[in-house]
Amino acid sequence: MGEGATALRGQLRTMVGEHIPADFLGAFTEDPADLEIAQRFCGLLADRGLLCLAWPEEFGGRSASVWEQTVVREEMWAHHEPRGAQYMGINWVGPAIMRHGTPEQQRRHLPPITRGEVIWCQGFSEPDAGSDLASLRTAARPVEADVQPDGEGGTARQAGDGGWLVSGQKIWTSYATMAQWCFLLARTSRGARKQQGLTIFLVPMSRAGIEVRPIRCMIGPHHLNEVFLDEVRVGPADVLGTVDDGWKVVQEVLAFERVGIARYARCERLLQAAPSALGDRWDDLPAELRGRWAGMLVHCRRARLLAYRVLALQSQGRVSPVDTAAYRIAVTKLDQDSAEVLMEMAGLARLAGAGGRRFSRAVQDHWRYAQASTVASGSIEMQRILLARALLAAS
Amino acid sequence: MNIELSREATEYGRQARRALEAAGGDRLVQLAEEEPERREKVVAPVLAGLGAWELNPCGDAGELEAAAALCRSAGYWALPYPVAERLSRPAGLDADGLLVVAAPAPSAPVADLDLRWVAVTVSGERSRAVTLPQTSPPRHSAFVAELELSPVDGDGAADAALGLVLPCWTLLGMLDRAIDLTRAHVTVRTQFGQPLAAFQGVQFQLTDAEVERSGVEMLARYALWSLLASPADALADALALRLAALEAAQTVFRVAHQLHGATGFCDETFLSWLSRYSQPLRRLPLGLSATREQLGRQLGRRGLTGLFSEAR
Repeated sequence: MGEGATALRGQLRTMVGEHIPADFLGAFTEDPADLEIAQRFCGLLADRGLLCLAWPEEFGGRSASVWEQTVVREEMWAHHEPRGAQYMGINWVGPAIMRHGTPEQQRRHLPPITRGEVIWCQGFSEPDAGSDLASLRTAARPVEADVQPDGEGGTARQAGDGGWLVSGQKIWTSYATMAQWCFLLARTSRGARKQQGLTIFLVPMSRAGIEVRPIRCMIGPHHLNEVFLDEVRVGPADVLGTVDDGWKVVQEVLAFERVGIARYARCERLLQAAPSALGDRWDDLPAELRGRWAGMLVHCRRARLLAYRVLALQSQGRVSPVDTAAYRIAVTKLDQDSAEVLMEMAGLARLAGAGGRRFSRAVQDHWRYAQASTVASGSIEMQRILLARALLAAS
Repeated sequence: MNIELSREATEYGRQARRALEAAGGDRLVQLAEEEPERREKVVAPVLAGLGAWELNPCGDAGELEAAAALCRSAGYWALPYPVAERLSRPAGLDADGLLVVAAPAPSAPVADLDLRWVAVTVSGERSRAVTLPQTSPPRHSAFVAELELSPVDGDGAADAALGLVLPCWTLLGMLDRAIDLTRAHVTVRTQFGQPLAAFQGVQFQLTDAEVERSGVEMLARYALWSLLASPADALADALALRLAALEAAQTVFRVAHQLHGATGFCDETFLSWLSRYSQPLRRLPLGLSATREQLGRQLGRRGLTGLFSEAR
């Protein structure tokens, strides 16, 4: 990875050690203090130029190498993502605005993201449009030119364009209860293909007509919400990119994620922590379980190397759908398989003092998250379809 | 480590695959089964022509990669010859090759070959090894012979690591072939008016196999790097590779057989040969459970070197 990446890893671990409590399980718990810890940590990262490390220098970043970006993803996820919801703005909202935004949109949105001051949510999924996102029904209906947006939208780019009224329902919208802005995908027209006629709007969550309803779920608070849109006014200045051509932006957004979350890092951290967390109880584990533990460490290494291969190819300007999908399948399965092994250890760990109880809580949190790993950010079935297509096309 | 093998090693592996194809390809293992004693005469000259025995995998990273690429190509054709074992020959001992063995019945797929072997256990105990006479034909033995051992020393830990890693490259070549064969079969075989490949149930099985295969490929590369760059971890890394390779072989061959249907059991389909002759690599010196247990013992509480191993 190089010396720069190694030094960065050390710097991040020092910061985590100094500013994140040992029992921190992420920003989204029942305890509001955890969100405050994450917000403070984001501020510290921003002060040191580490929050938007990957961004170009002209937008406040450091143009970091792909390997430095990887170190950040690994360290943050391993330590229960102390950036909280900020990663969304950093990883893809900001880059999408850099690429498709107007100068005004860039001036307005990018500086708050670099300072860690704003939370975005993603208005994509709908009750009848999950993996088949292009089937979404949320509609933006054009309004007469004399009906102007409510001031948030700025001035119209085209004379006579009065904007739209957006109505519909979004679902599974993470962080919607705390977000200030929404990266909203809505239908503005009907084309020959369902991917045509979609438009991205950058909409403040405070705008009239938006209602958020939290969904209680096993993962924890703030993760899943419904967002209802009732004639929400949006103007031309809220459009990101070109009207009716939002699908192109969506595809790029998903590509920004590169290989997605570095799930293997948290799995490995928890697995490696197990022997010391269990102390003398480690020897009471069945030999078969210790063997599975060793096997999971091998799977962690396997997933990490598969990720590195994708990143190495991408850094050479090569795209490999086979390698990308293979990694994503391997890492989500790892998340769930390692969670099962760790849960078998968690019971004994609870008997092994404060450290063991802390480990046990972290393992239970990991298990709950892991149940969603084959569903979130593109289901494993979609990855299998992509991989199969690429494999069969190559034959 | 570099994620990919060097360009030279990759090209060497490609040439080896072509040379072995020209020498008979799929027919080589079939001929060897018919006339076991001829396999040395048929195969060894091709390998000598490729400069296989001039390679020094123990001391040079480039030659180690070339050796690995050669093993992978040999696996692709299920080559009935102990290429990896010969390439693993230990420095400082006069021998033609190295066999990693385990109690209680040390054995290896080296029957009917007039070669001098050194055997080593995973814990590094080295012996001279002599093959005992065959009691069953290769159709049933897959050239596995029991070995008689005479102890030499206990200095073979590094030998054991190399002796575990290179056969995994052979097995990787077999997995490459099993997936190629299966991919080709589901593309041409038609049922209910469409190719098998059009069925999602078929596609998903194929992807499961490919994920396993590509994971082994990366771990094989890592273990190779570890042999020279991180000797203290090399044995654990070799066992880690072996564990993943055995798990992958189970998935890949299961999928390959299932998707081939009955035709996959027929000798006119190469999968039948590939599957049978993968058995010695998958069972010796340690099968899946024994490998997992051995790795667990090797790691103890220390874990596997990685992102968080220093925190243990």
